Amino acid sequence: MDHGVVDLSRLQFALTALYHFQFVPLTLGMTFLLAAMETVYVITGKQIYKDMTQFWGKLFGINFAIGVATGLTMEFEFGTNWSMYSHFMGDVFGAPLAIEGMMAFFLESTFVGLMFFGWNRLSRGGHLAVTYLVALGSNLSALWILVANGFMQDPVGATFNPDTMRMEFTNFAALVFSEDAQAKFVHTSIAGFVTGAMFVMGISAYYMLRKQHREFAARSFRMAALFGVISSLAVVTLGDALGRLDYLVQPTKLAAMEGIWHTTTPPSAPWTAFAIPDDVAQKNYAEINIPYVLGPLVAHSFTTAVPGIIDLEQKAKVDTVNGIKAVMALHQYSEDKDPAALATFRQYEQTMGYGFLAQRYAPDQDLSKLTADNLPAVLDRTARETIPNVFVEFWGFRLMVACGFAFVVVFALGAYYSLRNKLETQRWLLRASMWAIPLPIIACEYGWIVAENGRQPWTVYGWLPTYMSASSHTVGYMIFSLIGFVLLYSAFIAAELYLMFKFARLGPTEHAAPKPVEGAGPATFSRPGYAEKSWQ
Amino acid sequence: MTRLLQLIGLAAVLALSLLFAVVAGDYAPWYFAWIVGTVMIVLIATCGAVLFETQETSRADGRDAGF
Amino acid sequence: MELYAILKLIWAGLLGILLIGLGVMMGMDMGVGTLLRFVGRNDGERRTALNIIGPHWEGNQVWFILGGGAIFAAFPTLYATSFSTFYVVMILLLFSMIMRPVAFEYRSKVPGNTWRETWDWAFLVSGALPMIIYGAAFGNVLQGVGFHFDWTAQYHQDESFIWYLLNPFAILCGLLSLALSIQQGGAMLMLRGVKPIYSRARTYASAAGLIAAVLFVLGGVWIQFIRGFVFTGTVNPAMESTPLGGPAVAMQTGAWMHNFHAMPILWVLPILGVASMVLTSVALRANKPGLGWWLGALSWVGTIGTAGVAMFPFLMPSTTNPAQSLTVWNATSSNYTLICMLIVAGIFVPLIICYTAWCFSVMRGKVRVEDVVHDEHSY
Repeated sequence: MDHGVVDLSRLQFALTALYHFQFVPLTLGMTFLLAAMETVYVITGKQIYKDMTQFWGKLFGINFAIGVATGLTMEFEFGTNWSMYSHFMGDVFGAPLAIEGMMAFFLESTFVGLMFFGWNRLSRGGHLAVTYLVALGSNLSALWILVANGFMQDPVGATFNPDTMRMEFTNFAALVFSEDAQAKFVHTSIAGFVTGAMFVMGISAYYMLRKQHREFAARSFRMAALFGVISSLAVVTLGDALGRLDYLVQPTKLAAMEGIWHTTTPPSAPWTAFAIPDDVAQKNYAEINIPYVLGPLVAHSFTTAVPGIIDLEQKAKVDTVNGIKAVMALHQYSEDKDPAALATFRQYEQTMGYGFLAQRYAPDQDLSKLTADNLPAVLDRTARETIPNVFVEFWGFRLMVACGFAFVVVFALGAYYSLRNKLETQRWLLRASMWAIPLPIIACEYGWIVAENGRQPWTVYGWLPTYMSASSHTVGYMIFSLIGFVLLYSAFIAAELYLMFKFARLGPTEHAAPKPVEGAGPATFSRPGYAEKSWQ
Repeated sequence: MTRLLQLIGLAAVLALSLLFAVVAGDYAPWYFAWIVGTVMIVLIATCGAVLFETQETSRADGRDAGF
Repeated sequence: MELYAILKLIWAGLLGILLIGLGVMMGMDMGVGTLLRFVGRNDGERRTALNIIGPHWEGNQVWFILGGGAIFAAFPTLYATSFSTFYVVMILLLFSMIMRPVAFEYRSKVPGNTWRETWDWAFLVSGALPMIIYGAAFGNVLQGVGFHFDWTAQYHQDESFIWYLLNPFAILCGLLSLALSIQQGGAMLMLRGVKPIYSRARTYASAAGLIAAVLFVLGGVWIQFIRGFVFTGTVNPAMESTPLGGPAVAMQTGAWMHNFHAMPILWVLPILGVASMVLTSVALRANKPGLGWWLGALSWVGTIGTAGVAMFPFLMPSTTNPAQSLTVWNATSSNYTLICMLIVAGIFVPLIICYTAWCFSVMRGKVRVEDVVHDEHSY
């Protein structure tokens, strides 16, 4: 396997995933916020809530298109760049992706057309139902993607079949109800709610600062602030649940996130609030520690120790020795179907992934060339390899958490002043809300980095190393596709930002005093902002 | 008679929801939390808007909207 | 026959249905994209053409995504190997596919002439290129692809990507697929369009149907001289699904005709293909776009059905190690996954068809220039 190709494949996947993930959270949150606005329209019958649904819906549409477009890339990259992964895990991993298409993506995409174009062709209740279906569809989409991702973090519901050389699916319920999938779905979906709420609240604040569209902005701000305050609290709660799960199933990720080099001694084990972790020297500089916090924070207990990186590496060495036996037995079995080899493989099966990992450092990537002389060096390198980059994990996690708490504060203040109708006097809060618009997206990206960088060096934790998962391409192929993605995606983001700013600045067009009758003919066309769809 | 049927219908919905809650609470606590939580978040945002209208009306009537 | 073998067969059938659905629904939108610059001579007309598929293109595009997802779930080894061996081609397809949603959403949001012209070209590229590649992929697979697997079932590519792009038979198949999409897109433009879009679409689509029929017959003759693949070892359809250690396979010129010789009833499919292509043209000429649309869909059934039964049970034969060719028997998921996915598909595919049909019926009717240009929400 060419390491350059693996690194370029990783770079391409990371760039396209992070790019895609700029747009997804807004879709997840905006759809439910739009549904809430339309609900008020249906309950109260006030035109302004329909205007709100349509105006925010237009901004949503600009975002949705590019989210769909870049999502295509994600689905295809597993095949184009990660062929070994797709073969090895496809039996399990492909199922949730296909279900996502059938159950969620079709729902969302078919009804989004009706949501934009069906205002005059559906009853109020009918249109509201369509909006809710779009919201449900987009979030179900996230559900199945995160079920798939949950399998990469905590592979449950599958066993390895040495005859087909792949993981095979054994338990559908275990996969869907995997704790990691559950907590991650709720965390991600609600993080999307926060993103959507901040977007609407921030742009409303911008109008209020400029004293434009006041009726429109005050109502939008109120709804977004209330929507956001509960969502942001929920995100923090779920973040804690995920941290505890990492402690249980992905100890290397947790140790890296918290910068724990040595196994802790309860109950006084400190939580490191600030440090500069050094991956090479394996220690932290400039630590600021808060004693007695770590245990209850990650393990929800004062008595359990949290394993540190150096001890985890020692454990990895033992697994690697066994894993090498497993892989060699598997290779022999694949050639001569020897039952003895199969028995040896079964004995060490659980550590097979570590054997594959060691293969990377074996002479000529051939485990049979390992001798007593070169084995210790290979074990050392493999053990080091099992730890994700600590600096990235430590700081990615802290920045995300800091953002999360900041959202709680901004939304709480926003909701408080909005409920008391005293927003316009709090210009600093309006300014803060406006500048906070991109923050949830950044926090989501950090969350993604912490989750996926923390999974390294595995594509499926403990089973398949990343370096083995990639397709055997040449560097030329990778450079071709990378250049293409960079050019195309840069053009898209420029167009997207241009349109977003243009339409957000333009704002909704205010209705004249006599409200147009629902479904009225050409008369409404003179006010382009709210023209009703008239087909016939 | 219609009222009775309505009540039976509502009781059936309630029983099903409870059953769903018990099963979901055991096997899928976070999924269940998401369903309940999302409904709550949407409802609270909706109520906020309805409250806004009430406050506007009271202010138009010259009374203190209060909160 | 064992359950596992039956499941594999069912999924081979579902794969066919999916590829047909993809051809019909996505092909229709791609055809509209390709024809955009030709049926619409000014901005208002082009917007009208776009808004004819405006409420539906997103749903139609999901057929493409589901195509990828279902192959991933039911034929993981095929998904992994085909997408990777056709890397450069797939990436080109992807680039053109991701231009479309953006083009739809952004084109009419800014008034500038240059802006809209640029996106109109994007529609042409992102309409024609994916259909050519879709057809060419079939063409390449019919001729066999150079790849083999090592002991971990990692694939290795044995030939250059240039061949996949510049290969006369594949180009023929690509043009056939493009012609079918223009026929389908044209029928849709006629269904919901008015003059002058209607009459222009009629001209292009009815010509496309005849061209498709000619290309299809030409391909049928050509295939006689192409090396097909046949099993020479004993095949166990319920075998463990792995390309390693399968029965021997031989390459023979004209082998893709074996299934037709063995079961003459299969000739129905190519006949259906040619007949519906010609009849689509006739129906569109006779101003019956609804009938033409359905006949166009039947052309896809005939075309993909013909390719499928000709190759059966091969899915992606290997020229460099024929015994490792991917087939219906060795490239599927496990028994358990096939059952799970069958249940899911059994529930959701009928549901999808129902609500898609409902959406089309809600949005039915003619789209006129004056409606589109005055509407803030239209594309």
